[in-house]
Amino acid sequence: MTSSKSRMLLAVFLLLLFTFILTLQPISAQAEGVNLRWSIEGITDLPSLDPAKASDSQGFTVIGLLYGGLVRLDGDLNVIPDLAESWMVSDDGLVYTFTLREASLFSDGSAITADDVVWSLTHALDPNTGGWTGPFYLSNIVGANDVAAGSATELAGAVAVDARTVELTISQPSAYFLSQLTFGSAKVVSKAQAEADPTGWENAPVTSGPFQVQAWNHGQNIVLVPNANYWQAPTIATLTMPFIQDSETAYQLYITGELDIMGSQQNGIPAVHVPDAEMMPDFRSTPLFAVRYVGFNNTIPPFDNVNIRRAFALAIDKATLANDVLGGTVVPSDRILPLGIPGSELPIDGLSFDPDAAKAALAEAGVTPETIGQVTLTYGVEGDNERVVTVLQAMWQENLGVAVTLEPLELTTFSARLNETYQTPETGIQSYYSVWGADYPDPQNFISQQLRTSVGNNNGHYSNAEFDALVDEADVLTGDVARRMQLYNDAEQIAVNEVGWLPLFNPRLNILVRPEVQGIVFNGQGLIIPDYSALTISAGA
Amino acid sequence: MTRVILRRLFSLPFVILSITIITFLVGYLAPGDPILSMMGSRRDPVTYERLRHLYGLDLPWYEQYVDYASGLLQGDLGLSYRYQGRPVWDLIGNGVFVSVQLGLAALILSLAIGIPVGLWSAIRQNSLWDRAGMTTMLTLYAVPSFVLIPILRWINYQFYIHGLPSLPQAGWGRPEHWVMPVFVLSAASMGYIARLTRVSMLEVLKQDYLRTARAKGLRNRRIRWNHAFRNALIPVVTVVSPSIAFLVTGTFVVETLFSIPGIGYLSVQSIAQRDYPVIQSTTVLLAVAVLLMNLVTDLLYMLLDPRIRVEA
Repeated sequence: MTSSKSRMLLAVFLLLLFTFILTLQPISAQAEGVNLRWSIEGITDLPSLDPAKASDSQGFTVIGLLYGGLVRLDGDLNVIPDLAESWMVSDDGLVYTFTLREASLFSDGSAITADDVVWSLTHALDPNTGGWTGPFYLSNIVGANDVAAGSATELAGAVAVDARTVELTISQPSAYFLSQLTFGSAKVVSKAQAEADPTGWENAPVTSGPFQVQAWNHGQNIVLVPNANYWQAPTIATLTMPFIQDSETAYQLYITGELDIMGSQQNGIPAVHVPDAEMMPDFRSTPLFAVRYVGFNNTIPPFDNVNIRRAFALAIDKATLANDVLGGTVVPSDRILPLGIPGSELPIDGLSFDPDAAKAALAEAGVTPETIGQVTLTYGVEGDNERVVTVLQAMWQENLGVAVTLEPLELTTFSARLNETYQTPETGIQSYYSVWGADYPDPQNFISQQLRTSVGNNNGHYSNAEFDALVDEADVLTGDVARRMQLYNDAEQIAVNEVGWLPLFNPRLNILVRPEVQGIVFNGQGLIIPDYSALTISAGA
Repeated sequence: MTRVILRRLFSLPFVILSITIITFLVGYLAPGDPILSMMGSRRDPVTYERLRHLYGLDLPWYEQYVDYASGLLQGDLGLSYRYQGRPVWDLIGNGVFVSVQLGLAALILSLAIGIPVGLWSAIRQNSLWDRAGMTTMLTLYAVPSFVLIPILRWINYQFYIHGLPSLPQAGWGRPEHWVMPVFVLSAASMGYIARLTRVSMLEVLKQDYLRTARAKGLRNRRIRWNHAFRNALIPVVTVVSPSIAFLVTGTFVVETLFSIPGIGYLSVQSIAQRDYPVIQSTTVLLAVAVLLMNLVTDLLYMLLDPRIRVEA
């Protein structure tokens, strides 16, 4: 090789090396003091810090730390005062008058006024905001649908009476309205900041909650510091929340001491590590307020026949599914309400495993495995779904003799098929494996919002007039909690008997929290910090 | 040579145009849309239709495409659906930077280790060194990254629990974060380059002109470095370009598992979320990168062997 050519080749290599070195960034300094590290899994970044635009549980977790609402949930899932110090409800149950805390301030020192509350609620409903949770959770406020439809710009049912008084008027009495107000879409943002910088404010928001943003490193993490102006200001120095797509990665970081809390988002500890994790004092486990179920298209054969639905329900051995197939990581369930949610303390007579009764129900429906035709179960490919549906298929084959075809779909495609099934049930899917998790701890979120005739989430178009009458009464009943729960229980019993859903199990969420971390409560709704000022890492433990 | 470069660069916009049309149509024809993906299991048909309208998803496909393409011509990659109105460039800009760093580091490592190991094995053919080196390289080539990563992590964890110096299992920002991902990313191409270098060097060493050189009494070292090495490198240069494509696709897994904020990470996620503007932009970027790398490879050919004439 001539020396000039070899020099050129060397130059190319050096150029590569040089380009690489040029791209290196200086290392940023680590923060001093008590730094709590809590991983947010399943995402690579947050979509937005605007409460009205957040759309997933990860986003709402961060929103909940940044913004206060009129009310929030305590560790026992009761609605407690947050930015409002108290409220009154009119006798007809339609008008809620909230009084804001005195001298309540945003993180920038400006006053939190009734005006900010009204503006925030309107903003969450405004179609130009582009969010969808507002129209879903705030629809009970008078005029909400007009704002959401773009036919009004002012929310008629929300009035700032004076600087500290907000009056919300709702369309029908509701025992869960306050629960709905704990959801992210009702959080309070600074009207002044949002109006001054309509497109940029959400990147560095003025906050009304326990924390404020110190740094949002896109694609990596968000670093929060206490908002000293919050009425219950935290005492820790920083809260760093790295975004970690993969639960396995989060687990690896936790066991090598790089995280203090992992698994509270999405799937928890990866199933293969649960046996190891159970031995650690850091292990915490709870059944989630969620239910995995098989839904049926009630408008087309074969599942328009209640006896066929019953046959399919009775043929499933949920204990085997939960304990042997899923290794006890879930709790088998015969009912629609998840374990532990209000209303679930009332018993339900479920359709437990009974192969003989299953065959009898199929016979009663007048079909045999030969004449039932093609039966398809559609599901989204994610997590353990594949394993679960394969076992369901085997159980139906063994206990009913029916060969069910499985149709796996990529998640968004699955959502699209469900949507089509809702819109045009006659050309929709026959049955599907899905999940519903509580947005707020109230039976209405499961019973009425999933199975009442033609509600938006009732993909299978289950319909029963008696059921509808019961939930309609319960939804607007306030005051008499016992009677309301009984109405939901009666409705749930009907839906269970007629297999509106075939409930399978409540997933457990297994997470890791360092024993030194104090002030965190873990229940079916997830991680809750009842008192932000008590959140700490105790050095002594 | 200049003509080749000019012609290639001239064809670039047309290639990009075709890529955007194909990506757009595939995205458009895929079931579901960003709104459905965002709303997940909560179905609210009224809000759904309203949001589709707001984001212009109810327009015919050609109108949506023209909107996108005219933005692209003005250097505007559009706004992300998923990341609520954030400009795509804002989203991927930093990621591109990180992915390029990672890819370059892996490429440099695979060349810096692969070529010397291959050469040494060829010179010491059939020695213990040759066997051990090639077995290692074959293993690195054959083991997929999603298998290699847990193995490395397990080893690293053993170091950690025994109080020995260990690496972070994932993350980004400190120099030690680089070690595992770069190694994993370079493993396959390192193994491939080493084996290829060895075979090609052996081939060259058998050539007549080298026998002549030896007969002339030239020293072995001079024969190897000045006469054999350069010709042995031609096939290696040939694979560098595909291995860059390989590195790019490899980053999808590596970035996700090591929680690195590159674009591999973002592109996979944007597909699941039907975030069309982001999918389009990452596809175009990767395509341009591959095209440019092909051009560089062709130029290197000409540099190494003046007999080679590349058709534009």
